[in-house]
Amino acid sequence: MTPDMELALPARAENIALIRHAFGALGEALAVDEELLSDVRLAVTEACSNVVVHAYAGETPGPLEVLATVDDGALTVVVRDRGPGIAPHPDSPGLGLGLPLIASLAESVQLGRDEQERTEVCMTFLLSDGQANGASSSAPAGPVAPADGQDDQIDPTPRT
Amino acid sequence: MSDSTTPEPDAPSPPGPPGPPGPVSLRVATGPLAGPVLNRVASMILARAQCPLDRFDDALILCDAISAHAPAHVRDSHVAYTLTAEERAIELRVAELRAGGAAGLLDDALLPDVGNVIERYSDSRRVEPAPDGDGEELILTIGFA
Repeated sequence: MTPDMELALPARAENIALIRHAFGALGEALAVDEELLSDVRLAVTEACSNVVVHAYAGETPGPLEVLATVDDGALTVVVRDRGPGIAPHPDSPGLGLGLPLIASLAESVQLGRDEQERTEVCMTFLLSDGQANGASSSAPAGPVAPADGQDDQIDPTPRT
Repeated sequence: MSDSTTPEPDAPSPPGPPGPPGPVSLRVATGPLAGPVLNRVASMILARAQCPLDRFDDALILCDAISAHAPAHVRDSHVAYTLTAEERAIELRVAELRAGGAAGLLDDALLPDVGNVIERYSDSRRVEPAPDGDGEELILTIGFA
C-alpha cells in the first residue's frame, strides 16, 4: 500500500522537530485523539533519534525516511535508514529504553530490513474508538517482533 | 540504529540556532492531509532559514494555493514536494504532475480581483520534465531579503 505521507530528509537532530510537526498536522487533519497522537509523536521521535544517534555514527548524516499509512483503523509508521542495522551498543550513553518505550506506546513493533537492505522500525497504532479513548497509551506493551528472517539484527533488550 | 533515550553527552552541539534542514522530500496523499502537512513542513523550513515574517505569510499562502489545486493535476493520488533552503530563498519543487499539470496548476491559482496567487507570491517559476519522463515538475522560488 502506498503511504499517505512520506518524508525523506537528512538524519540530523534538528530535523526530528520537523517530523514531529508533520505528525502533528497528520493527527489534526485526521482528528486523531490527542493522547494517541502524543504517543505516536513520542514513539516516532524515539525511533528517529535512534537513527540520528546510531545509524550514521561517525559519518555524514545519511537519509532518514518516515512513512505513515492510515488503513483499516490503524496508523502504521515506518522509520527507515540506510545504516548498518540495529545491533547492541554496549558503549551507548543512552539508557537503552528506546525500543521498549516504542513497544509500550505502539500496538505492535517490527524491526528489520527491507528488500533494499534499509533498516526499518515499523510501528502500528490503532485508531479505533478504543484507542481514541486512550486505550492505546494504557495498553500493555505490544510485542517487539522481528521482521521475517531478520531476527539476527535485533536486540531490543534494554541496556544499562 | 539502536535504542537510546538520551542524547550522547559528548556529542558536539551546534554553536547557534540550527540552520536549514537540507533538502526535505515530502510525498503526501491528496485529501485532508495534503494542505496541513505541507504547511507545517514548509513553516519549519522557512523558520529555520530565518525567513522574515511577511514573506513567511506569503509562502504559506502559496503553499495553501498549491495544496488546494495540485491534486487536480497530479499523475495519481499523491503530490510530491521537495523543499530546499537556499541563500535567502526557498525552492519548492512540486513533482509528480501529469503533462500539462504545471500550467494547469498555475491557471487554477488565478483569483478574481486578486490575480494569480502563485505568480504573485513566488519570485520565479519554471517547469521541468519529470526525471522519470512521466509528467513534469513545477519549481518555484520564494526569496526574502
